[in-house]
Parts: sequence; structure tokens; C-alpha cells
Amino acid sequence: MNRRVLAVGLLLTLPLLGVLVAGLGRDMTVRSPLVGRPAPGFSLRPVGGGTPVGLAELRGQPAVVNFWATWCVPCYQEHGVLTRAARALEGRARFVGVVYEDAEENVQDFAREHGASYPSLVDPDGRTAIAYGIFGVPETYFLDANGTVVSKHIGPLDDERLAAELRKAGLRP
Amino acid sequence: MTSPARLAAFALAAVSLAGGAAAQQAAPAADARAVVGAPRGRPLAGAELDAVAHDVAAVLRCPVCQGLSVADSPTDLARNMKRQVGELLAQGYDREQVLAYFESSYGEFVRLQPPLRGVNWLVWVAPVLGLLAGGFIIARSLRRAPANAAGAEPAAVDEADDALAPYVLRVREMAYGWPGGDPPPPPGEGKA
Repeated sequence: MNRRVLAVGLLLTLPLLGVLVAGLGRDMTVRSPLVGRPAPGFSLRPVGGGTPVGLAELRGQPAVVNFWATWCVPCYQEHGVLTRAARALEGRARFVGVVYEDAEENVQDFAREHGASYPSLVDPDGRTAIAYGIFGVPETYFLDANGTVVSKHIGPLDDERLAAELRKAGLRP
Repeated sequence: MTSPARLAAFALAAVSLAGGAAAQQAAPAADARAVVGAPRGRPLAGAELDAVAHDVAAVLRCPVCQGLSVADSPTDLARNMKRQVGELLAQGYDREQVLAYFESSYGEFVRLQPPLRGVNWLVWVAPVLGLLAGGFIIARSLRRAPANAAGAEPAAVDEADDALAPYVLRVREMAYGWPGGDPPPPPGEGKA
């Protein structure tokens, strides 16, 4: 009887333990279902006005689509990384910011204070953020020259990570 | 230009203008169409739209909350998602298409009720199987229990196990009140 109880107990607990171990060993970031698929389309007005920028304008070069907000502290950390990279890679990669749940004036003030080297776009009702499956900010998508999503990064980017993701998106050294 | 021809030209112009306006407003719908295909339901409106939108929002997970549905969450993201649910239903997308639309960007995680496919079957079937197995085990023990309680005499002491025998007799003495642990003779037997 004791052996049977042991066998049933093991039968019930081992699969649960297996799931636990598999879960602990895995990167806990949620993998985006968009990776490998064409990026969701958008056409958004830049902060402060101007011609709408859309997916069509990003095609032809690897592209960085960064969702951010001025109230997000990690976004401050990566702002310098992205701004420098956008200047250095002008003509080889395209950068665009999408403002997430923030007022346009805040973004303008931020740009005056910290500088900007690529457009940040206004996203009314967060439609683009929802289409890209944004959970919070900062989150960054990397697209190849055809507009296919190559990868998604959650959290602030540093120089190394940005360079690695851009290489995956097809940036030539 | 004759009058009917002028009327027709006017109607054509009106239709194309209206079409242009609709196309401008319908940008999210075009996006949804690319993801989940043409609307399969009928456009909803009024109280019915509100009720169905609430039902759908109740099974959509708010991505920035801890276990809250889009219907229950007060966050901006959940409000925006709920607005889109209403818009999609008003455009004729059915409940499953609306859920599939959000799933395409957030993954299956966004569904509070996992759909019946792949390993998800386990989530739905395992509780029922567990219940049946539990019922079976309980039924079997109940069938055995009366036999032990009323019918069968306690098993005779295994005389071969000398080490255990004194303890078994002691337990019987305590449990049944039999002096020395031996069962008393049947009632009729002593008088004969």
C-alpha cells in the first residue's frame, strides 16, 4: 500500500516539479508573438507636428521602434544610448520613438532638456502600443529592412545590447 | 447633362466622399482585417454592444495589472483596450476575432480563459479527471470500510511474528476491552 501511495504521489508531484524547474530556468520576459511577423502598421504624427511617420518611412534599413515616456526612469537611462546611436548610424538605420501614455508638452520639454536625434510620435488612445503588445516602458522593437519584427527588448538598452539587436536586424558593420 | 445623370453624378460623388471619410476613420479596422480577416459577425450597437463589449473585456487580461481583466482595471491601457473592443464589435468582428486580435500582439497570455487547444486541454480536462479519480478512490474505500467495521472479525494474531504479537494483543485489550487481548467466546458457547 505504501509503495502505491508513493507511486501516486510521485506521479502527481513530478510533473509539477518539472514545470517549476523548466520555468525557473527560463528567461521570464514574455516572448512577443510579433517576432518573425510583419510589424503592425502605423502612421503617427511627430510630437510638435509635422508629416506623419509610418512603417513605410522605416523600410529599406534596419529600424528601431522605441516605446517610451518621460515619467519612466529607465527611459532616461537609455535615451542617451539611443540618441547617440541614431546620430552615429544616420543613413544606415532608422530610429523612431512612440510616446506611451504621456503628454506631448512633457515630451517637448524633455527633448529641449536632453536633446533628440530622431522623431517621437504621438500615439492617440495607445493604439500602436496595443498593436505592438506593449506591457510597459521602455520596450523596443527591432525591424529588418523589410519591416519584419526581428526582436523585442524589454527594459533599458545599453550600447552593447543595441548593437547586437541591430546586427540581428541586418545592420552591416 | 440630364437631370437623372446629374443625380447619379451627385450620388457617386457623395458615396466617394463618404467612402473617403470612412476609410480615414477605419484605420484600426484595416489593421484588424489584416490580422483576423473580414468581420464574421454583425455590427453591434447600443445596449447590446455595451453588454458584449463588457463580456469580452472580462475575459481579456489587463497586461499591466496583476490578475485583473480589462473590464475590471482602471488603468489607461485597459481603458484603451476596452475602447478598441467596442470599436471592433461595432464594426462586425465577432467575439473570437476580437480576442484573436489582441492575442496577435500580446500572445495567449492576454486571454483569461485559455482556449481549448494543445496543452491547454489539460487545464480543462485535468480537474474533471482529478474529480473522477478522487470519487473512485473514495467509493472504493467506502465499499471496503463496512466490511472491516461490521462484518469481519479482527484478524488472528500472527503467531509467527513473535515480536509483534504482544503489542497486537495489548492494542486489542485497549481497543475492544478484551482481557489479555483474546476475543471472548460467542454468547451461546459458554452456557452449553
